[in-house]
Amino acid sequence: MSASLSLPAGFERLEHFVGQWLADTTAERAQRRTDSTPEERQAFFAAAAPMLEQAMAYLDARPLAELNDEEKRLLKLMFSLAHVQMAVEIHREMEPRHAMLREAMIITHSVTDII
Amino acid sequence: MNAETNAEFRPPLDQTRWLGTDPIPAKAYYDPDHYELERKAIFMRTWLQIGHVCELPEAGSFIRRELEFAEASLLIVRGKDGIIRAFHNVCTHRATQLVSETEGRTNAFICPYHMWNFGLDGQLRSAPDFENFFTTKEDCALKQVPVDTCGGLIFINLDRGCTQPLREFLGEHIVDRLEQAPVAKATGFSEYVYDLDANWKMDYDNFQENYHLKFIHPRSGAPSYTTDNPFGYPEQFTFHGPHRTQVFWSGINMDIATPTQALLFAAGVRYAMEKGLMPNPTNREYYALFPNFFLLGSPTQHFSHTVYPLSARKSRGVVRLYWVGEAQSASELLAREYGFLVARDIHSEDVDVIRAGQRGLNSGALEHIHFQAMEGLCRHLNKVSNEIVEAYREATAAKGEPA
Repeated sequence: MSASLSLPAGFERLEHFVGQWLADTTAERAQRRTDSTPEERQAFFAAAAPMLEQAMAYLDARPLAELNDEEKRLLKLMFSLAHVQMAVEIHREMEPRHAMLREAMIITHSVTDII
Repeated sequence: MNAETNAEFRPPLDQTRWLGTDPIPAKAYYDPDHYELERKAIFMRTWLQIGHVCELPEAGSFIRRELEFAEASLLIVRGKDGIIRAFHNVCTHRATQLVSETEGRTNAFICPYHMWNFGLDGQLRSAPDFENFFTTKEDCALKQVPVDTCGGLIFINLDRGCTQPLREFLGEHIVDRLEQAPVAKATGFSEYVYDLDANWKMDYDNFQENYHLKFIHPRSGAPSYTTDNPFGYPEQFTFHGPHRTQVFWSGINMDIATPTQALLFAAGVRYAMEKGLMPNPTNREYYALFPNFFLLGSPTQHFSHTVYPLSARKSRGVVRLYWVGEAQSASELLAREYGFLVARDIHSEDVDVIRAGQRGLNSGALEHIHFQAMEGLCRHLNKVSNEIVEAYREATAAKGEPA
């Protein structure tokens, strides 16, 4: 795994999702969700959701301002998981139609774009 | 939530009875002549929410806001004295717009055309070859627009002669609540914006009735309705002059959340508690401020929603989720990401049906539309707007002017 895709020790099994799901801004994460297939969302959710609690406990043990690149990647991956959760667990087969509706709502600012 | 808590839920039907029961003339929702009256009688003369003080953190911070319904561009700026002022973004020389940036920090506004230089207080400080003009610098100050704040929210009024102070317009109850709401302490926000082919009231009304929840938000809104309250109706309506509120039902059923959803929501609640934002009298309240502003009091999804008219049949919505303080941990940031995307997901679901309603209205097929008792907030907006339009029409007729 190249350095730019690596995650902290213990989260290696999520590294092959980094390429598709890691994005720097909320708007980009929303777009990744929209651009993905149901199978891709399901695979990411199935792998990452069981690790959410552990990932956040790991990240919360460190000062936010001092997260290193690997830790930031893990956090951004959990942000993307939050997007995918709505698709996989709430909208389910309605997600493609929902994606079209969401296009009307243009994201102009996000306080989470600082990481 | 258990059945005991909710067994007594009864929709507050009596609280909207005073608004009457008549069908509502449909023209107010699509007719260009009626819109023009609303534009002049309401939007050009009423306090309008336009921003937040966190956008103007220091002396020289400014934001530019375009108000299409007025063809106006406004500069809102914090002066060296800390005071927030609003000006038309118009050079007093030959009307050139001064600023093209949407926000920034500056010591002066300098016109790109002939380098007229205005201070943060709007005064003309210098202009090349000014001695050749036939006016004074004092007469060339930027045109000021009334501006005031309440609960951190910035309001402007395009009526230069407006005499009613903002706080009097909002009334004691609303002022009290805005000052206690998290927005009063907010330091940042996330925002999404949408343009919609719908009259501003068609757009706004959708967001002040719960009757549609189970049909339009069958999944994202599922916690809001149960067998005890099948439509997820609010517990209470209150009316404060032209403004109105609803108090959400206390029986919202978060037990149906999935484990992942519960984890994501729990982080938001935890940080609201830690920051002292809960409990709060605004927790379950939803404020609809005349003419076009909403604020959801809940600190975990503390959103404002402003609906700007663009034309008789077009509007723009600006939705912001406000946050207090810098996030202190990864979980707090995750809660902000999730709170924001869930709000956007839910609001997205309304877009199609509002547009469909507008297309139906535009056909002219209906002379009237109907509001039920639990759509009383929509009826109230219609009533208040019509009363203001009628008073304006009578006043202009009395002066012999065309309305």
